[in-house]
Amino acid sequence: MSSDIRKWFMKAQGQDKSAKPSGAAAAPEKKKPVLSIPEKKAAAPSLRLTWVLYPVAIHDSCAHFVVVQTDGMFLIFAIPVKVASCDHEPFARKKTSKYFGSKAEKDSDVEMADAAVEKGTDKSATKRKLQKCSNELNDASKPLPSKRPSKDVEDDDDDFVSPSKKKTPVKPPPTKKPKVASNVEAPGKNTGADDGEDEDGMDEDAKTPSKGAGRGRGRGGRGTGGAPAGRGRGGGGRGFMNFGERKDPPHKGEKEVPEGAPDCLSGLTFVISGTLDSLEREEATDLIKRYGGRVTGSISKKTSYLLADEDIGGVKSNKAKDLGVPFLTEDGLFDLIRKSKPAKAPADKHQNNNSSEKLQKSQAKSSPAKVEKRAEASADKSITSKSNIASASSNIQKSKNVDRGSMQWTEKYRPKVPNDIVGNQSMVKQLHDWLKSWDAQFLHSGQKGKGKKQTDSGAKKAVLLSGPPGIGKTTTAKVVSQMLGLQAIEVNASDSRGKADSKIEKGVGGSTSNSIKELISNATLNYSDNRSKHPKAVLIMDEVDGMSAGDRGGVADLIASIKISKIPIICICNDRYSQKLKSLVNYCLMLNFRKPTKQQMGKRLMEIAKKEGIQAQENAMEELAERVHGDIRMALNHLQYMSLSQSVVKYDDIRERLNSSAKDEDISPFTAVDKLFGFNGGRLRMDERIDFGMSDPDLVPLIIQENYINYRPNTIGKDESGVKRMNALARAAESIADGDLVNVQIRRYRQWQLSQAACFASSIVPAAFMHGNREILEAGERNFNRFGGWLGKYSTTNKNKRLLEDVHSHILASQQANLDREALRLDYLSLLLGQLTDPLKTMPKDEAVHKVVEFMDTYSLSQEDFDTIVEISKFKGHPSPMDGVQSAVKSALTRAYKQGSSSRVVRAADLINIPGMKKPLKKRVAAILEPVEESLPEENGAASAEAEEEDSSDSENNDELVPGNPTPKLDLQSDKKKGIQVQLDLKSNGNGSSGKKAPAVRSKTPGSSGKAAGGSAGKRKR
Amino acid sequence: MLWVDKYRPKTLDKVTVHDQVAQNLRKLVSEQDCPHLLFYGASGSGKKTLILALIKQMFGAGAEKVKLENKTWKIDTGTRTLEIELAMLSSSHHVEMNPSDAGFQDRYVVQEVIKEMAKNRPIDAKGKRAFKVLVLNEVDKLSREAQHSLRRTMEKYSSSCRLILCCNSSSKVTEAVRSRCLNVRVNAPSEDQIVQVLEFIGKKENLHLPPGFAARIAAQSNRNLRRAILFFETCKVQQYPFTSNQVVPPLDWEQYVSEIATDILTEQSPKRLYAVRQKFYELLVNCIPPESILKKLLAELLRKLDADLKHEICHWAAHYEHKMRLGSKAIFHLEAFVAKFMSVYKEFLVATFG
Repeated sequence: MSSDIRKWFMKAQGQDKSAKPSGAAAAPEKKKPVLSIPEKKAAAPSLRLTWVLYPVAIHDSCAHFVVVQTDGMFLIFAIPVKVASCDHEPFARKKTSKYFGSKAEKDSDVEMADAAVEKGTDKSATKRKLQKCSNELNDASKPLPSKRPSKDVEDDDDDFVSPSKKKTPVKPPPTKKPKVASNVEAPGKNTGADDGEDEDGMDEDAKTPSKGAGRGRGRGGRGTGGAPAGRGRGGGGRGFMNFGERKDPPHKGEKEVPEGAPDCLSGLTFVISGTLDSLEREEATDLIKRYGGRVTGSISKKTSYLLADEDIGGVKSNKAKDLGVPFLTEDGLFDLIRKSKPAKAPADKHQNNNSSEKLQKSQAKSSPAKVEKRAEASADKSITSKSNIASASSNIQKSKNVDRGSMQWTEKYRPKVPNDIVGNQSMVKQLHDWLKSWDAQFLHSGQKGKGKKQTDSGAKKAVLLSGPPGIGKTTTAKVVSQMLGLQAIEVNASDSRGKADSKIEKGVGGSTSNSIKELISNATLNYSDNRSKHPKAVLIMDEVDGMSAGDRGGVADLIASIKISKIPIICICNDRYSQKLKSLVNYCLMLNFRKPTKQQMGKRLMEIAKKEGIQAQENAMEELAERVHGDIRMALNHLQYMSLSQSVVKYDDIRERLNSSAKDEDISPFTAVDKLFGFNGGRLRMDERIDFGMSDPDLVPLIIQENYINYRPNTIGKDESGVKRMNALARAAESIADGDLVNVQIRRYRQWQLSQAACFASSIVPAAFMHGNREILEAGERNFNRFGGWLGKYSTTNKNKRLLEDVHSHILASQQANLDREALRLDYLSLLLGQLTDPLKTMPKDEAVHKVVEFMDTYSLSQEDFDTIVEISKFKGHPSPMDGVQSAVKSALTRAYKQGSSSRVVRAADLINIPGMKKPLKKRVAAILEPVEESLPEENGAASAEAEEEDSSDSENNDELVPGNPTPKLDLQSDKKKGIQVQLDLKSNGNGSSGKKAPAVRSKTPGSSGKAAGGSAGKRKR
Repeated sequence: MLWVDKYRPKTLDKVTVHDQVAQNLRKLVSEQDCPHLLFYGASGSGKKTLILALIKQMFGAGAEKVKLENKTWKIDTGTRTLEIELAMLSSSHHVEMNPSDAGFQDRYVVQEVIKEMAKNRPIDAKGKRAFKVLVLNEVDKLSREAQHSLRRTMEKYSSSCRLILCCNSSSKVTEAVRSRCLNVRVNAPSEDQIVQVLEFIGKKENLHLPPGFAARIAAQSNRNLRRAILFFETCKVQQYPFTSNQVVPPLDWEQYVSEIATDILTEQSPKRLYAVRQKFYELLVNCIPPESILKKLLAELLRKLDADLKHEICHWAAHYEHKMRLGSKAIFHLEAFVAKFMSVYKEFLVATFG
């Protein structure tokens, strides 16, 4: 965008300049407003955006304004692009005269100087206008708002008392704009010839800013970005764009690429194989396409040449030999191109404005503006004649522009009949059929005015068109309904589509949604204009996935509408998997539009270009189609915009124009990693790397981490011992580890501003160390990047940790041990495992089972815990702990355990009376237990006697530990509240069966501490 | 019941290994007041045993009646409400918990949960102690923020609450917290002491110990008493009567780590690094704490390493252990350490042997 703006500045500059001499000569009364240098100095950072309009001298009756452009000021002030652009847009369109094509900033400096000289005289007489930025927007449509951000307004304030009033008289009505535009151009053109002299020295430099993206010219050494003829590598950044994984050409950039006549290769098909002598493959492709040739991927009968410098004996060359396709070396290709040139060169004199271009070495860049410029630059001899041609051509173009400006191409060339729609013809047909049969299906079967139409269930009453933007969904809907003679009523995101008033059934109109409802529910409304016919309306709900906060209940209401509708409803959306549309899709016939192919689009674009009088190459149009990713509307917008400045659209123009403004596309993390690690990963620009890394900031680092070991870096060169590679690996690993630290900062402390740093550390740096060829490390592995293994392992780890925590809490609950989880895993587990499995392996079945179950009960381990312990002790490559245990023994163990569990009243908290629940959540347990606690106090009295008994026995038990201490009793009393209920159970259960006197301390606590009691209760059973 | 639990001393009187410490503690609590305590020492040296015995000394048998609860705490952090689930082992006199289980939300546990409990005076006013005891395990794993919040809590509610902190390394506890506590260092028992304990157990269990057998177990246990007793019992399960040359089976994970160390030392290549990564994953999935892996791995590597490299490798191990603590994906740091080791070692090998 910024370059466009600059272009405009230059144009303005040019115009001003060109107007100056004529003004001096023909219209002495014309005033020139100027900026003095001191004003520039005054530019403070805090400058407010004030604009000065200089409506200057009037040529005859037509209001003509000379724009004084102060480039320097703009640059200094760094005007926000947005503001600037909205102002400039009309200008850019208007000033299509090639004459003002591009001038250097340098010009402006000169201009400034000039202006400064004239300042004193001009200033006083100049009409000025001060306007705020916002006003400016409105005025942008006015003919010539010459703007100037200025401090100088300060001293001129008196002049601007009532700006708008002053302005109005000079201002022609906005509708006159095209006309004015042509007027503006006229004087510029007339003086063009003289101008050429002035600008001789500058135009070379002038071109650079406007065409910065071009590659440098190989031999010229000058920054003629606009001329793609040279092939030097130094100039452009395009070399970085190559991703192919092959060696650099041996003589890269050493050969001069010839220039030939346009389309000299048309009709020829090339296949490129292997490494060429001096061209990169992409460059060769560009070269061929530029001259109208085609490049395909594989050899077929249609292939004209196989372009290869060395016969590497690959598939392509073999096939070429089979089919008799001739080989062509790079030099051969150059010859082919070169040959074409002299044949065409002489012919250009009598051609239209393209002729001058060809004179300038048949450049592929054919913008008339540039052509003109080059003409000026090259020679004095033909200046006059050429500028005549130039003015003539600009006249032609101007008139063209006038009628072009009247309508957007996207509207102008909107398909009128279904056959015009590019691609998706089957969808169009389906929609057509559906619409056609709608009446028969939904109206005639019911025939009743009111009530629901229950037709056969297969048919849907509405249709949902989905697909990416710009491929003609809305158009299809409109065109098809038009063809069927239906009146399309379109409701889109610009209308409020909220829930209709509930009273709608009574026919209250009002908001849009109400009227929609009325429309669809009231069939008679549609009879109004033509009673003899059936309902002739169709409702197009556009952008249904855009129904948002403002359209509350919109989708639900839409569904309700569909149910009662008496007219067909066509819904249109971009993303049919959108969450919002989940409910809607059930009621709709889904028609999914796909992107048209580039050939389809190319054809259509060619037609349009032809109608608009643009010469376009077919492959240029296809390239355009490809660049916009099937968005035909965007393609047309680009085309229209390009047509403003040039009448010939070539392959390179498209490439260059769309390189910067290419549509963003999602890259999958795998693609991103492939690119980063790719052989040429080191040549990516940093911003590209960041884009790749940030394409999925969670997954990309994981995939990088998973795969970086697999790459053999190509940066390390010869490395027989592998030391260098190991070093690179270590550094990459270090960086990945750093990335983890940054990630913690981001996630834990929400330092999201670090996400780029994280991306660097975890993706870009490792990739920079390791990019190269991927190799496999394990036999049988596919040589593709694996998905990050970390996620899976992490979740398994967490699962196991949870299980281990269960074991841990059971052991704690058994009160046999007090240990932490780490100690459990690191120290205990081996022995636990031994205690659990060894008897099963060595001892006779019954005895073993008995022993194991007893052990499990001691530590209140459940069957699940058993499995957990076994599972967690398994190591890959080690024998499983359960090896050698016969399945009969296993099942005996299960049986024995289950048997025991029936008598285990409360084992552990999570086993409390929840039959059929394998693994109740702990929270749940707490919920179950709490009410018991609260309801207990009432029972206290009854139970307390028994409890006391227990207590006393308890304290006796503990006598040896705490001799004669009253404390236990007190403690127990406070404890009683809890656990009494369960204790009663225990008494009947536990005490009855075992003579062993269990320490009552344990049985005292149950209730809320089911786990604790559980363990002991279970144990007491035995 | 495992021996390690069976023969755990229940009272301070019965403590054998750290009898001096135990006596001091007893004197400490026999007076009415008791400061905050910080127990630190290596794993398996008897910290927990001392703490439990101490609590019992304070409150009598009532402190033994513990229940395990998984409580869910709702904590309002201002912007959102957190739910933290925490397992607590509590009696009417003390609460034991592991605040570092809450991960990086441990700060809230300290701020809210602990404060909540510290604030409430024990209902039992008639008891001789007018305070509750809060036992916090793994204090060294608490985040810095949590430790900072802890120190205020310690002062403010000292009238109704005593904290007993327990950790492995006091260096990871902030100075501020340490200075508010009476620090009790619990040494790892010497091998002789371990042998004594093992022999004591053997006598109680009526086992015949071949001469030198207990010493071998003690040596392998790395002065970890708990581990020694567990080893002892493992041997018993494995084979009894003992033979004098009976092999003490290594712990499963330690064995696995030494295999990794062997792998690393035999070959340094991307392929091997990849294999090592798989093994690390295996360990981590089996809930082995990464710090233990790294420590053990370093020990194994150092055993076979040339003396010249030892210093450098220790440096890198410390470096990556620190990073592992700061980071969240342990495998990255383990792998980075191994990659670094391979790189250094390979360079060394090439330089030495060509």
